[in-house]
Amino acid sequence: MEASQLQRPKAKLSKQAWVAYALIAAPFLLMVLLIVYPASLSIVRTLRPEVEGVRRFGLENYQAFFSDHTSVTNLIFTLWSTGAIIGLLFAICLPIALYLRFTDSWIAHWVQGLALFPLFVPGIILAYALIRFIGPNGLLETFIEVTTGWQGYRTPYLKPAGSIIGLVWEGIPITVLILTAGLAQVPDNLIEAARDVGAGRLQIFFRIILPLIGRSLLIAFALNFLGVIGAFTLPYLLGPAAPQMMGPFMQRTFYNVLNPDAAETQAVITFLLSSIVGFLYVRSAVRQQKEET
Amino acid sequence: MTFLRRLAKDPFGIVIFIALFLFIIGPMISVVLWAFSIQWRYPSLLPTEWGLKFWAQTFKRADILQALPLTLMISFIVTIVSAIICLPAAYAFARIKFRGSQFFLLSFLATNAFPRFGLYITIAVIFLKLNLISTILGVVLIQLVNTLLFMIWIPTAAFKGVDKSLEEAALDVGASRFRVFWQITLPQVIPAISAALLLTFVGTFYETQGAILIGLPGIRTMPVLMLSLINNQLVVQYGAILSLTLWIPSLILLLFARRVLSGKTLAAGFGV
Amino acid sequence: MFRICVGLLFLLLLSPAFSQETIDLYNGSDTNISDWYSNSVIPMFQQAVPECKVNQVITGGGAGGNDPIVDRAYAAFKTGDDPKADYFEQFDPFRPVGAMDEGFWVEFSNDNVPNYASVVDAAKETPYNLPYRGSQVLLAYDKTKVAEDEVPHTWDELVAWIKANPGEFIYGRPDRGGSGRNFVVRAVHEANGRDPSLFTVDNFEADLASERFAAAWEILNDLAPYLYDNASYPAGNTPTLQLLAQGAVSMIPAWSDQAIQAINLGVLPESTGLVQLEDLPLVGGYATSTIPSNAANLDCALKFADFVLTPEVQTSVVEEIGGFPAISWDLLPSELQAKFADVITNQVPDFPGGDWNSAMNDSWYENVAPNVNRND
Repeated sequence: MEASQLQRPKAKLSKQAWVAYALIAAPFLLMVLLIVYPASLSIVRTLRPEVEGVRRFGLENYQAFFSDHTSVTNLIFTLWSTGAIIGLLFAICLPIALYLRFTDSWIAHWVQGLALFPLFVPGIILAYALIRFIGPNGLLETFIEVTTGWQGYRTPYLKPAGSIIGLVWEGIPITVLILTAGLAQVPDNLIEAARDVGAGRLQIFFRIILPLIGRSLLIAFALNFLGVIGAFTLPYLLGPAAPQMMGPFMQRTFYNVLNPDAAETQAVITFLLSSIVGFLYVRSAVRQQKEET
Repeated sequence: MTFLRRLAKDPFGIVIFIALFLFIIGPMISVVLWAFSIQWRYPSLLPTEWGLKFWAQTFKRADILQALPLTLMISFIVTIVSAIICLPAAYAFARIKFRGSQFFLLSFLATNAFPRFGLYITIAVIFLKLNLISTILGVVLIQLVNTLLFMIWIPTAAFKGVDKSLEEAALDVGASRFRVFWQITLPQVIPAISAALLLTFVGTFYETQGAILIGLPGIRTMPVLMLSLINNQLVVQYGAILSLTLWIPSLILLLFARRVLSGKTLAAGFGV
Repeated sequence: MFRICVGLLFLLLLSPAFSQETIDLYNGSDTNISDWYSNSVIPMFQQAVPECKVNQVITGGGAGGNDPIVDRAYAAFKTGDDPKADYFEQFDPFRPVGAMDEGFWVEFSNDNVPNYASVVDAAKETPYNLPYRGSQVLLAYDKTKVAEDEVPHTWDELVAWIKANPGEFIYGRPDRGGSGRNFVVRAVHEANGRDPSLFTVDNFEADLASERFAAAWEILNDLAPYLYDNASYPAGNTPTLQLLAQGAVSMIPAWSDQAIQAINLGVLPESTGLVQLEDLPLVGGYATSTIPSNAANLDCALKFADFVLTPEVQTSVVEEIGGFPAISWDLLPSELQAKFADVITNQVPDFPGGDWNSAMNDSWYENVAPNVNRND
């Protein structure tokens, strides 16, 4: 099919191309007007710091960020939390996805339903619910005390673990969906062939399945990274006062420290980090494109 | 007995199910319990006094009842407009070769990564100039931007996955292009598009940041109204009742979604 | 004849629009205040000034309060557009940076708000905001856990109590609500000879601030290990109060009005005690409203500002939300004065907004908050 398309005359291709540009114009313009334009304004502003009353080009804002202990601590904390969240998501979702791929029972249907459930719960409700559930003297603590008599429960509410739990909860559906879709592309006959030659479960997983779903893992990583690194509601309501994740930190710098320049610098740095991950994703997409053609 | 035997066949599934159930549903259970309690003092496992006293008080608030239809309407408009502008774009990305298509497609993902909160104020300034603040149009526009990624990526993957040999066969026997699209292409992508519509609707319904900055004072959507009531209330029950109420539209969608999402179509949209 | 009819019809159609301005009033305070507005203040105003309508927009909670809306209005001020905001129930006019000097906020005077004359001097910090209700922070505690003779009456006794009862005390993050903020302020005062007059709106200097704060952070860091759950600072007045309500801690600093309302609602048990420190009270403050000078309905906004300073509303401040009036007690009904004779102060000790406040909050985040989670 690809070949038949390539053989079409060039003139026709370019006419089609104009149609394509027309079709994508509306969403693209909307994005340029409402994201790209204001975002560029804000990037330019961070590059034009006010020195002695005059705005001029310079990197002072970025120097200030990286020489400020709190900012660096918060950035590192954000990356650390993001890593922990993504690690946990893989640890939780990979077994679920494998289970869903190789089982077709009514329990599997329920497991899938449960895994998708968080898609339909907004962050604000989740934060509220988690405070009542894992919070001090919450349902979980009383449940543990009543059933086991153990008094040692320490609530993760207002600690780094609080925001991590919340964000993992939110990230489960997308991760499970992407991993199941990746696993669906692993051909049954390949696995059966491996089984026939006596490969064990772990061997099949590491030798056959894992290399084949590398791309899904990368996508799951990228989407979760982009979602978590700028998260605001859950870290703000469930996380600690310090160190802070970038989302609440930006907000605090903007509204409470009254330093919009610093807040914008933080936003741009967060964006740059996301871009690195975005780049990995783009590279993989381009490679796939090449493989196809 | 057969029930137990069936369970025993799938021990791993049961373990996963119970663990997920505790983690996912546990927090929701505590909300439900709070909503139907009058008093719940530690260390009681269950509310010390049950009742519906706070329900009546919550729904005495007229603003909540006004906000619900407005929010539903805005979410519907956003979803429909998003579909109208994004689905043709998705078709173009999937089926037409043109210079820079990869760049344009990825630009929707890249821009999605820019932290929103700083942008909204700049956008608010633009909207002030255009007189869009506090109008439905303004809120629709700001929320529309957030829907672009899902509404383009998921359908693009679906259109790419359409079996072209069927289409070509139909064209060969003389069917019109429109008929081929309507009868052959569309049915194949319906599940993915429904999934994208669903995600768009839910995401829009719960969006707050843009709705606050662009919508206030005239347009107040449910989540904006509830944000303050959920986390700023002395009486825990109000928040619980509002959370449950706010969750009803989702619950209905979830029931609808079971069919759509159980197909593995949705995930393909993320380029898997 | 026909023309006259059409003309009349037009007049009829247009007249309500002209005679009835609606002010957009943003309320970012806790719900006890916004409820009080919906149920008392606004209906009272509507009766007294029927030509102005009020649209209350509640912005409290996790959304950053009035800040985003103020930023929007300030941007509109610079570009000359309608800010879609006429009145902020509570805002610090020192924000956004530079706005005050550029004339963004209305300067209150006896001319534009006649009742401004009756505001007590102690409440006036700057003419750009309108103090209209005062309240103080005090200690709320659980009588079943804190014995009568253990109840602290001085800062030293409080510190001793906290250390003797590890994990039983907590205060909120200073930028997230006055109860935590004013507890931190009290520590700053303690470290600086208990002299609130050292801090004024105009005397901020960065060096002076870091010097004065350093001693206070020593005090608070010394307390940190004895606070609730290794010092897990909640994000707001309400979350702090709920920790007490849940029995997770047995003493907190709390706004007097919010604590009293919580007891009335049954959120806090009857056995909740309230106590004020005697060596220097925990500071309180006046809630101050602001009006953007570019408000589309400036006249009505000023009328509203004037109205909240009437003895009628000020009486309601005392009776309905347990606050202090911003005007002199002498102007209130005498039976009310008699009833509150023991608590009447003409002054609620305060700490200036603006630079001092934001420097303190930021410095707290840098110096006190990080000592919290190291053990986790």
